[in-house]
Amino acid sequence: MIRTLDQMVEKVLLSGKKHRLAISWAQDNNTIGAVGKAVINGLAEAFLLGKKNEIIKVCHSQSIDPALFTIIGSESESTASAEAVSMVKRGDADIVMKGLVSTDKFLKAVMDKENGIMIPGAVLSYVCAIEMPSYHKLLFITDPAVIPFPDLDQKIAMAEYAIEMANCFGIEKPKVALIGASEKISRHFENSIHYSVMCKMAERGQIKNCIMDGPLDIFLACERKTMEIKGINTPVNGDADILLFPSIESCNPFYKGLMLFANGELAGLIRGTSSPVIVMSRSEKQKSKYYCIALACLMAGNK
Amino acid sequence: MLKKLEEIRAIIANEPVKKLVLAAAHDHDSLSAVLRASKDGIVIPILVGDKESIQNIAAANGYDISDLRIIHESQTEAAVEIAVKMASSKQAEILMKGKVGTSTLLKCVLNKEWGLRTGKLLSHFALFEVETYHKLIAVTDVAMNIAPNLQEKIAIINNSINCLHKLGIQNPKVAVLGAVEMVNENMSATLDAALLSKMNQRDQIKGCIIDGPLAFDNAVSLESARHKGIKSEVAGDTDLLLMPDIEVGNVLYKSLVFFAKAKVASVILGAATPIVLTSRSDSEQAKYDSIMLAAAVSKKQA
Repeated sequence: MIRTLDQMVEKVLLSGKKHRLAISWAQDNNTIGAVGKAVINGLAEAFLLGKKNEIIKVCHSQSIDPALFTIIGSESESTASAEAVSMVKRGDADIVMKGLVSTDKFLKAVMDKENGIMIPGAVLSYVCAIEMPSYHKLLFITDPAVIPFPDLDQKIAMAEYAIEMANCFGIEKPKVALIGASEKISRHFENSIHYSVMCKMAERGQIKNCIMDGPLDIFLACERKTMEIKGINTPVNGDADILLFPSIESCNPFYKGLMLFANGELAGLIRGTSSPVIVMSRSEKQKSKYYCIALACLMAGNK
Repeated sequence: MLKKLEEIRAIIANEPVKKLVLAAAHDHDSLSAVLRASKDGIVIPILVGDKESIQNIAAANGYDISDLRIIHESQTEAAVEIAVKMASSKQAEILMKGKVGTSTLLKCVLNKEWGLRTGKLLSHFALFEVETYHKLIAVTDVAMNIAPNLQEKIAIINNSINCLHKLGIQNPKVAVLGAVEMVNENMSATLDAALLSKMNQRDQIKGCIIDGPLAFDNAVSLESARHKGIKSEVAGDTDLLLMPDIEVGNVLYKSLVFFAKAKVASVILGAATPIVLTSRSDSEQAKYDSIMLAAAVSKKQA
């Protein structure tokens, strides 16, 4: 079982496979820094799509040899994104990554009906693995970025994506906590209704490979002491691997709070695509981007 | 664990005999069941109705009713009102329907001033003795609530659990019935079932073990549940079957009686006293057993 993000990187390196990254509109300091590190360390090979001159300029400013990459000239954010996605679709690359392009334009290329790489009918969502000193293992969270108010079907898809990711980390039956403000069921809280339905689906094997309970608050999900104090029996047992949140607005501040106040570090990926897609905010640290690349390699290797 | 309806008799044997008031008692079927129960020491009847008809029916059936309390009132509605008032003023612990329509009786039961309202939902509880099952099995609601919503299902379960506890079944196993044991978003009964299970796990519904959705076969047969790979404390050992709606419930009730030759006792719960509200098509034995069931679940009066 992988317990830290560095162990995750190790695992990818040990596999000996080099995955090919296609980066859209790559002329960005953090992106080239992270990709350069991945190439130098032997995680991946990279195609940088964008304005050639600018890419080379950024490489020099980061003291990275541009010859480490294959640079492909491209004139606009949209064409760079479309080309990066089609490289993956054609099999010329394994992973597509967003550079300096806006998320909207990038995802438009990913989701394009004819040329995109969405799995037909799949829900597009986002899963993050978070490492922090105050928790004894990685914590997978969903969805901090894509679905504002997931309905039942979307929540089920989110859970399945997170479970699949945890499986790739060697967690065979991850403990999934469906997060709410309280552990009670109330018809006034629609999420508590969705969660009850999902728990039963997990019990009946309709959602596989997990131990699921919810609604649970974060204390009950992640701290055994609270469980004892409240006298609540939950198979998650204060030992959650996965936290599923009811909305972006609850999940996003949660992970940002961990980054800011709990020395958290993360790796995240878009799910619902036929190949891994890395989307990180432009403000994200280089180290996080590096971990995202490693995560994408891990998931690509488990396809 | 109870296997036969007649075992209920042992439960009431140690308690003071309860008073049953028969509303519009000039009714051959219900009166003969009441008189038989009276003779067996199960209840003490109070008969409200047309005195002459009552005496004629008793005589024709060979019962001596000279010792029984009879309140003469030949008008049906007035007789029902008297009977209900006796129950609400605690002069009787069981109310039973005689020669009166169900809607008239319920109108009186629900009267805001002198009825038997408790704030709880009224629900029908049927207890079956089926030869092919290893214990008595309760079924609810087959007669009162047409299409209960989640809140109503909770109330129906609570009424029924309370009743099963009085029958000595400590932690009854409740199966929430569906057409399938899987959760299906297009089948609202399966969604309610999932919610009821979770509410039970969270102690929001207490005193029982709830699982559902379960299809009828895996609710009553451990082998069926095993075939389907269902892990459930309830499957195969159900004490109470919660019906998704009255149509399913009513058909199940009647198929148990007609095809499985099951014996049944039933009672209306949720009012201040249990109400015996059998239909004309119920056998005399079913009426008798229902009186016995009502006696077992009625509260002791000081």
